[in-house]
Amino acid sequence: MSLAQSRLHVGREMSPGLALQIGEGAAQQVKHAEPDAGGIVPLWRQVPSQHRTDHNYYDLALLKEPVWIWSVPAYFYMGGVAGGSAMLAAALHGKKRLRRLANWCRFLAFLGTTIGPVLLTYDLGKMSRFLNMLRVLRPSSPMSIGSWSLAGTGMMAALSLLQGDRSGAVTRYGTAVGGLLVAGYTGVLLGNTANPLWRERRLLLPALFMSSAAASTAGVLQMMPLDEREEKVVQRFGMVGKAGEAACMVAMQRNDATVPEVAAAAREGKGGVLWTAAKAALVSGILVELLPVRSPLKRKVSGALTTIGAICLRFALLESGKAAAREPQTTINVQRRRMKG
Amino acid sequence: MTTPATGFFTDTSVCIGCKACEVACKQWNQLPADGDFFSGRSYDNTIHLEATTWRHVAFVERQARLSGQTTSRPFSWLLMSDVCKHCQRAGCLEACPTGAIVRTEFDTVYVQPDVCNGCGYCVVCCPFGVINRREDDGRAWKCTLCYDRQKDGVEPACAKACPTDSIAFGKLDDLREMAQARLQELHRRGVTEAWLYGMSERDQPGTEGLHAFFLLLDRPEAYNLPPDPIVPTKGVAGSWGVMALAAAGMAAAALAATHSRGGDRK
Repeated sequence: MSLAQSRLHVGREMSPGLALQIGEGAAQQVKHAEPDAGGIVPLWRQVPSQHRTDHNYYDLALLKEPVWIWSVPAYFYMGGVAGGSAMLAAALHGKKRLRRLANWCRFLAFLGTTIGPVLLTYDLGKMSRFLNMLRVLRPSSPMSIGSWSLAGTGMMAALSLLQGDRSGAVTRYGTAVGGLLVAGYTGVLLGNTANPLWRERRLLLPALFMSSAAASTAGVLQMMPLDEREEKVVQRFGMVGKAGEAACMVAMQRNDATVPEVAAAAREGKGGVLWTAAKAALVSGILVELLPVRSPLKRKVSGALTTIGAICLRFALLESGKAAAREPQTTINVQRRRMKG
Repeated sequence: MTTPATGFFTDTSVCIGCKACEVACKQWNQLPADGDFFSGRSYDNTIHLEATTWRHVAFVERQARLSGQTTSRPFSWLLMSDVCKHCQRAGCLEACPTGAIVRTEFDTVYVQPDVCNGCGYCVVCCPFGVINRREDDGRAWKCTLCYDRQKDGVEPACAKACPTDSIAFGKLDDLREMAQARLQELHRRGVTEAWLYGMSERDQPGTEGLHAFFLLLDRPEAYNLPPDPIVPTKGVAGSWGVMALAAAGMAAAALAATHSRGGDRK
């Protein structure tokens, strides 16, 4: 009772002395007694007194905005680097003259799969319950599959970092397969939502995340000291990734154009600025790379630009998703178009 | 399952917008207050379903008559008490990575507050924008279809409080019969715009039917309902397929990039 008295009456205007606090919502914690309407509803002074159109309900959001904070797109980036490095490390296994590069890759895979879960946990509403992510395996939920992949790959990556070139086939192939899952599942995760922007792009997102993972891995490696042989490997791997990323981004823009509201959500606001920045950084990264000179500075600038592009891209996807959820007409028009067939 | 599936049939043609359902829900479930707030949108100051609001009455002031109505000016009220739909294929449930969201013995969708860790994935996977994470609590909350009352054989608080029986609670089969009869009655009386939203899989293949369905008098978007909601997992196979192809591509790229002509192996 003392616990109930200290907390539960806040925001409820209800004395715990008069009623037992055993309702389904009684355990909801209230720190702010009267939150505003989330800040997403314009004040009544700004609203015309008459219903403008009959097309929707006062232009109020039909869907809920994603509640994820900065750490989720930051994780998307870290996971991509970890996945790409894990794959590259497996491919480099046993190559004597590329041993240093292989070790860098193993280290990046370990770092990404270690920081990644921390970033994801930081976003959780109840951080202390992060282990509940491994409470069940739900194949219908890409997040559940991703949690298990991340946990498994993390262990494999730690093992292969410790064992280096002496690691066995299980660790080697396990890291590679796990890395590929970690690099790509986030694209499936975003596509498998009710958000009109993400859902319309669901066949492109996994390819985008996968190719961008290869590009970001190369981007990080390019910023490190490399010899000529290592540089060549990183450059080749990165070029495939960057070309794929650019192709996916172009395909996405063309795909968006079929529904004007989806295109608007992707183009306007914070998400649009970030998307443009991602495009600019990616293209200039490719251009710098193609310069016919050979210098560590060129390589490092190209790597930095690719990294900036990959990070902007992931934040752009989250911000545009928020914008698409705020605008009810986006959801309605996508569905009406589908119903017409 | 021995217990028959239960649900709500909300007949918006008799809703009078008294918000008794909202109050009864808040009271019974002891949900926190939302504060005083004037939205300027008709009498709707609740605005939306939320983590703290499990029933929401929508107020549509429509500049058109209902068929058979004889008002001096073209005007009609559309009122609807909105609630979690407890979909047959529930997006939130299929997305939940912790197993916090379960299907109960009454075939309703229930979030276990002692398991939910607030990952927020259900929030983006609900095609109706119902479930949300409460920031200062950290967990996701939504209508439980009064799981606690149902276990004691009592009808949910909102249905109990509804003075016009706009909210009907019962076995799903009975509700469907009741809804069909009501629809025929309205059509006979000339209210031809009446229709049933999400009653069965045939009406709404995307969710395979709702356990809380509605009789509406206008298009769904007038009430802020999606016209053709689809549970996200329908179509996810394609995404996994693309991912597998892209993964093969990345593996090939890694092998090709590290390939060198002889002399490199141990």
